[in-house]
Amino acid sequence: MKSLLIKMNVNGVDREVLVDPDDRLLDVLRDELNLKSVKEGCGTGDCGICTVLMDGKPVLSCIIPAFQANNHKIVTLEGLNSDPTMQKIQQSFRKYQAAQCGFCTPAMEVVGWHLLNTEKKVDKNRIKEAISGVLCRCTGYYDIVDAVYEVAQQ
Amino acid sequence: MKAETVEEFISELQKKAERGELLYIGQDLKRLDDLEKVLGSPVYTNDLLPRNALYARLVLSKYPHALIKGISISKALNYPGVRYVLTYKDVPGLNESSTIIPDRPLFAFDKVRSTGDIVAAVIAEKPTRAKEATELVEVDYEQLPAVFDPLEAMKPDAPKIHENGNIIKHVKVRKGDIEKGFQEADYIIENTFRTQHQDAVALETETAFAVPKDDKVLIIGSMQTPHHVQAAVAKVLGWPIDRVEVIQAVTGGAFGPKSDETPYDVASIAALGALKTGRPVLMSMTREESMKAHTKRHPAIITHKTGVKSNGKLTASKVQIVLDGGAYASLGVLVIVRATFHANGPYDIPNVWNDGYKVYTNNTYTGSFRGFGAPQAIFAAEAQMDEIARKLNIDPLDLRLINMLRPGSRTSTGQLMDESCGLPECVEAVVNASDYRNKRKQYESQNGTVRRGIGIALLHHGNALGPEGNDYAYIHLTVERSGKIHLGTGLTEYGTGAISGLAQIAASVLGVPLDYFVIDRPNTLVHHETGPTVASRVTAIGGNAARDAALKLKQKILPVASKMLECNVDDVVLVDGYAFCKGKEGRNVAWEEIVKEAYDANIELSTLGYYIAPECKWDPETGLGSPYNQYTFGAAIAEVEVDMETGQYRVLNYYVAFDVGKAINPQRVRGQILGGTVQGLGYAMMEELVHKNGYVVNPNLKDYYIPTSLDIPENIQTFIIEKAGSIGPYGAKIVAEPPIVLPAPAVRNALLNAVGSGVNSLPITSEKVLNAIKSSRK
Repeated sequence: MKSLLIKMNVNGVDREVLVDPDDRLLDVLRDELNLKSVKEGCGTGDCGICTVLMDGKPVLSCIIPAFQANNHKIVTLEGLNSDPTMQKIQQSFRKYQAAQCGFCTPAMEVVGWHLLNTEKKVDKNRIKEAISGVLCRCTGYYDIVDAVYEVAQQ
Repeated sequence: MKAETVEEFISELQKKAERGELLYIGQDLKRLDDLEKVLGSPVYTNDLLPRNALYARLVLSKYPHALIKGISISKALNYPGVRYVLTYKDVPGLNESSTIIPDRPLFAFDKVRSTGDIVAAVIAEKPTRAKEATELVEVDYEQLPAVFDPLEAMKPDAPKIHENGNIIKHVKVRKGDIEKGFQEADYIIENTFRTQHQDAVALETETAFAVPKDDKVLIIGSMQTPHHVQAAVAKVLGWPIDRVEVIQAVTGGAFGPKSDETPYDVASIAALGALKTGRPVLMSMTREESMKAHTKRHPAIITHKTGVKSNGKLTASKVQIVLDGGAYASLGVLVIVRATFHANGPYDIPNVWNDGYKVYTNNTYTGSFRGFGAPQAIFAAEAQMDEIARKLNIDPLDLRLINMLRPGSRTSTGQLMDESCGLPECVEAVVNASDYRNKRKQYESQNGTVRRGIGIALLHHGNALGPEGNDYAYIHLTVERSGKIHLGTGLTEYGTGAISGLAQIAASVLGVPLDYFVIDRPNTLVHHETGPTVASRVTAIGGNAARDAALKLKQKILPVASKMLECNVDDVVLVDGYAFCKGKEGRNVAWEEIVKEAYDANIELSTLGYYIAPECKWDPETGLGSPYNQYTFGAAIAEVEVDMETGQYRVLNYYVAFDVGKAINPQRVRGQILGGTVQGLGYAMMEELVHKNGYVVNPNLKDYYIPTSLDIPENIQTFIIEKAGSIGPYGAKIVAEPPIVLPAPAVRNALLNAVGSGVNSLPITSEKVLNAIKSSRK
């Protein structure tokens, strides 16, 4: 039986979830709250595709114990799908065909959205820095950088 | 169409009609499958798992070579949350999980041959419980002598890994008179090159889940080749294949290993677990399980002996390639064929003697991975070319211009190059863009701590399967009453966008906009077995089947349209979702109307397209002949900057051109070139799955580095050359694999230019560069 009750605000909604001590934030988001945009690529905090926003900052949900998210605010791609900036990013990803296999795409978009929402002037080098914690094996990053950059210029 | 008046609309239709079947060919149409990806929709295997599922974790071998004296699962079975522990005893059919040579059991039973061997799988309510219980599976081993060096493994007295000796496959090329070729040479240059284990690191690991369904089992998984997975699972279960339904979920990267044997393992284990427990079971590899247990790129030891005249003309090339196959054959028995046929590089050499060996060792096994033997072979061949140029004191570009393949020349297997050989155009594009000649001159006299270098590498790449199997494909097209067109095939999408390209071809033939198309999920009970989705062959081979299906559908549509338009069938033109009669553009009917009319007239609108490539003929004893129907060509120039005190370097500029015959979708061709280049830069500069005495030292993404966004060259320029090939639709050639091949030799040769001494093993770490700097100072 799951033993710990945690409270989180997830994508703007207050949630109470029963978790195990060894559950990761990733497991709770995917399995309990059905937020499948959050992906697991390594389980060791190295690939970045599990990235979500915690209190407005990108964190790696595969190395954060679920109970540590207690009383925190979590945002995943599902929570941003109706945001105008995110929609621009998504359209730009489609325009540049920056989603190939698509497995890193949600994390790339969330990190890109966070960058565009926190910094006013963003050039391509800054985008490369910002997304450098998220691995992509298909695109070689160029199309992703171009996709984010196009929105940055708007 | 954005026409504002009827006249504009008609004139646009007329203009587009002039393109005929090429209506949408060569256009950057967007892919059909990315909306769900950018929205983060639940479409991948693990996203689709039913809630009552169980989870499997693997028990891998503790030793690289050992007899199994006993396996005790009772402690693991009693662990909280554990529902079952699978071993070889649970396999009702054949305990085998192999592609070509039946040498690999699903579960080890009598012995283990590598630390990637699967001994058992624990199935539990949570992945963590399953993982913990794997520690409680007790295996009694008796260690055996092991061998890790493939050259050692080839010796007669080496420990035997399988019954029939350690040489799995020997491939030969024998052209001309090799001794005469060396006698004619003014110089003979000999070098040995080494390459490493590379891990594909698809961001989604190998994964599948199985759901028991009455007397059947449903498998949903991440894979390249669902029909092969179906057959593999049926074999393990001892069932007829029709009782196994396999659906390929959206797949998070593949790169070759997902066409090899690991997808069989995860699907079979999920299926066995589901049947034993009566519940859905997910077998989703952790990154560590994947990096230990799946196939990697073969390490290679490649020796070159080349004869050359003082004018630069190559007279003889003798190459030996030894691939470290690890413990099992896998698709690697075909990898060595491609490696051996491409071993001399894209050059016309009269006398050739190649020996390629794939050898068993007690390392983890190796197999299919983007490039399929070409990255190793071309790295060595192109490094050797620069060493020859150095010996002759001529520019490496000039040496290549003297010897490279062009229309009228012949490959190492004696295959005649026709007008489709666009290698000279590729070279020209990158040489001009990079200002190669001037830069080369400029870098001749450098003295500072930071120096630059520029280097070139070329390739040819035999298209599609060639000697690797029958090259065929089926495409189903089905039109709904609404006009929507379903494209179904056993060929799979795993990121390239190639399946959207098949729809683009069908759309172009039918004159129907791409957004009328829907791509159905590959399902073994719905779609024909259609060969593997490998060898970059979807567009070149599948494209012909898509065209065939569309032409057949068009034959059904045209008479209906002609009746509606009251004109001759031959005069009906289909463009952009409308039909009209030549010269009477003002009167047209929409696709939806024609479809409805057809259904009302009792005409069903589904077709099956098929294509099989012409048989490739070559002599297996000499390799002579035409092992491939057509070739892709490529050239790359890399420019590097090196710190002479530390050996650290970076790639500043990268110029790359490919002759792809015809770019059906240039944007996606460029996407393949960029992505392959960066994966190839990882191979060149940083990636190595280190094996020490048979153990993988770095089975995680902390210690196994792949390029991040900060590691890519600031400036990359891509060029598409189009010299139509003989078999692909509209002349299309393959493109997905070749880009990974060129970075390693181009970067290596640029470093040679910068520091004056070459690095002959991959990856080219700063430590190796520093050693090269030191040796060039001696």
